[in-house]
Amino acid sequence: MATLKMQNVTKQFGRNVIAVRDFNLEVKEQEFLVLLGPSGCGKTTAMRMVAGLEEVTTGKIFIGDRDVTDLPPRKRNVSMIFQNYAVWPHMTVYDNIAFALKLKNLPAEEIDRKVKEAAGLAKIEMLLDRLPAQLSGGQQQRVAVSRAIAVNPDIFLMDEPLSNLDAKLRVSMRTELKAIHEKAGSTTVFVTHDQSEAMSMADRIVIMKDGEVIQVGSPDDVYHRSRSIFVADFIGTPPTNFMEVDVRKEGEGIHLVNSHLNLLLEPALAKHLNTYSKDKIILGVRPENMLLVSEDEAALSASCLVSEPQGSHQVVAIQLDDSIIKVIAPASPTILPGTAVHMSFKQETLRFFDPDTTLAIND
Amino acid sequence: MSEKIKKPFKLSRLIRKTIFYLFIVTLAVVIILPVFFLVSLSFLSTREAYLYPLPLLPSLKARYSLTYGERGYLLSVYDDFNKEYQTVLDTNDFEKMSVYMHSQIGTPFSIPEIEEVIKDLESGPEDTVYFSARKDLLYNYDTFFKVTREAVPALLRSLQIAGMTILISLSIGGLAGYAFARYIFAGRDALKFSVLFVRMFPGVAIALPMVIILANMGFYDRPIGLSLVYSVGSISLTIWITASIFIGIPESLEEAAQVFGATKVQSFLRVTLPLALPGLAAAAMYAFLGAWNETVSAIILTQFNPTFSVVVYQTLLGSVGQVNLAAAGGLVMALPSVFFTFFIRKYIQQMWGGVTI
Ligand SMILES: Nc1ncnc2c1ncn2[C@@H]1O[C@H](COP(=O)(O)OP(=O)(O)OP(=O)(O)O)[C@@H](O)[C@H]1O
Ligand SMILES: [Mg+2]
Repeated sequence: MATLKMQNVTKQFGRNVIAVRDFNLEVKEQEFLVLLGPSGCGKTTAMRMVAGLEEVTTGKIFIGDRDVTDLPPRKRNVSMIFQNYAVWPHMTVYDNIAFALKLKNLPAEEIDRKVKEAAGLAKIEMLLDRLPAQLSGGQQQRVAVSRAIAVNPDIFLMDEPLSNLDAKLRVSMRTELKAIHEKAGSTTVFVTHDQSEAMSMADRIVIMKDGEVIQVGSPDDVYHRSRSIFVADFIGTPPTNFMEVDVRKEGEGIHLVNSHLNLLLEPALAKHLNTYSKDKIILGVRPENMLLVSEDEAALSASCLVSEPQGSHQVVAIQLDDSIIKVIAPASPTILPGTAVHMSFKQETLRFFDPDTTLAIND
Repeated sequence: MSEKIKKPFKLSRLIRKTIFYLFIVTLAVVIILPVFFLVSLSFLSTREAYLYPLPLLPSLKARYSLTYGERGYLLSVYDDFNKEYQTVLDTNDFEKMSVYMHSQIGTPFSIPEIEEVIKDLESGPEDTVYFSARKDLLYNYDTFFKVTREAVPALLRSLQIAGMTILISLSIGGLAGYAFARYIFAGRDALKFSVLFVRMFPGVAIALPMVIILANMGFYDRPIGLSLVYSVGSISLTIWITASIFIGIPESLEEAAQVFGATKVQSFLRVTLPLALPGLAAAAMYAFLGAWNETVSAIILTQFNPTFSVVVYQTLLGSVGQVNLAAAGGLVMALPSVFFTFFIRKYIQQMWGGVTI
């Protein structure tokens, strides 16, 4: 177990593609850190540089106190779970797990003990004699996990390890991976583009876009205190609703106004806009933070476009001019298309974004 | 209760099946018949080989009759087709008779045995005796190696050449195939395509320049020279076979090996190579067959050290009246290819069945 530090790491492919740009990151001992971002944002590249499978263009990487920037993969003491598992098809499960241990010339009994221990953690003791072709996708995944645990690495790297599993297995494997992490206590970097996976597993989430780090924080942080429109939009299903509003200062109070909306801000929130000079902001509000209220309490009224029942709740889509916002409402009564919906906001949860920089104003 | 569903009769299906079986049978006939005739021919005696019609199967023994002739004794052989004895020899010379019986009819029959028969004839009441002799089936094979002095060294030489061809084309072609599969470099596709150019020329076309080049290198009439020539063709095929195999092996398998403690070389040897075995086996087979069966270039590029295929070819040319010997030589020549193909088949099958990548 060790810490991981990436300092000003940049990766350039060819002349034009910058996959990772000035990447700075510190992963604490035993932390479960998730790299999250849309496809092509450089997550895999960042992880492969840690593993040594990709050379850094500039910058440095430290594992613990060791500068590993120029070391080959085998000298870094990391282990990795690949997206396609990459279990070796010509070796039995046992040999797959024992491969690294044999290369270290450990005595046979010790190898045997470690293989069985690792297989036990991933619950595949009974599959040790099989070839990977005789295993299901989920079982191959477990082999990859055992193989990675068995070497007792400083850093555990996982590149979208769950993305090839079916929806149900994916959710249960999340729990298991997390449990294995608790037991093994290894420092882990986990790559995914699935935000719900990130939210449910991470100690901290690093949100990336176009090779750059946009925000680092706990799941709570990135969800409730999204630092930019990109993050607020990327995290959460359904994502944050955005409305462009005018900022009107009338006497003491500040009103947010557009054609559907007139909202007097509470003083605690209004103070964030005191120093703001432009007259427009983007208002961000999460679907569950909009409340259905009676007509006279409403800050916003519009008609329901469609309602999607989810069992425990319903997601109501509402047409506002040319945009659609979504609201999470109690399961009953069912809101029928065309009926008027009256809403107010949980004010303390509102996020204000600068329309030009797209960054949050109230931090 | 299992219910039998009777398929409705359909004419189109019948026609399709008929055509299918006709096709299969034709194919079998086209492939099997010539092989059958070659095998059968290689066991025929010289006399049988020139009978009309040619016997389908070699006989296992010959029936003779012996009577008094003008010059001595008259030897006749029973002809199964015409159902009569045909006179083949009228001589007093027992040695000549013995040699004739062995070399032409394929039945070893010693002089004392002949004398025994003659004693029967002279002491018996009839003026003809009938006797039969067992045939020596391997006579042609025996003779082939005895007559063509060069056969055994040529066989060894051919094996050596084929082995070296496999070695050269697998090591160079395999590495090139790996490079084509794994690395992106300028002109890769054009280069990969251009290695096939060499296969577009007939071997003879480049044989003369090859003689000159090999002579300059001091490799003319030496096994290494021929294996170099054969490698030129088989390397390009090896590149294509192995490149597609290596492309099919995910790079992440090698990367995983490196992360888990292997050097680049180790990861190649322990992960990629075993997985590429079927393709390498196929490439080895092509290289072997190419080198083993090639005759034209071998005739041009050798002088005193011919390959086995050249020897067989020469037997065929120089053996008017001895096609059965050439057939035996041809079969001896085919055997190593057949063995090699069967041996390597199980690795090639992995490509389609066994290990899935
Ligand atoms: N070997 C390479 N050569 C050139 N460009 C590359 C190479 N590898 C990655 N890239 C580019 O770098 C960028 C980042 O790729 P990367 O694989 O890191 O994305 P990712 O975040 O892992 O995406 P995904 O979620 O789809 O896996 C992409 O634009 C990709 O096209
Ligand atoms: Mg990726």
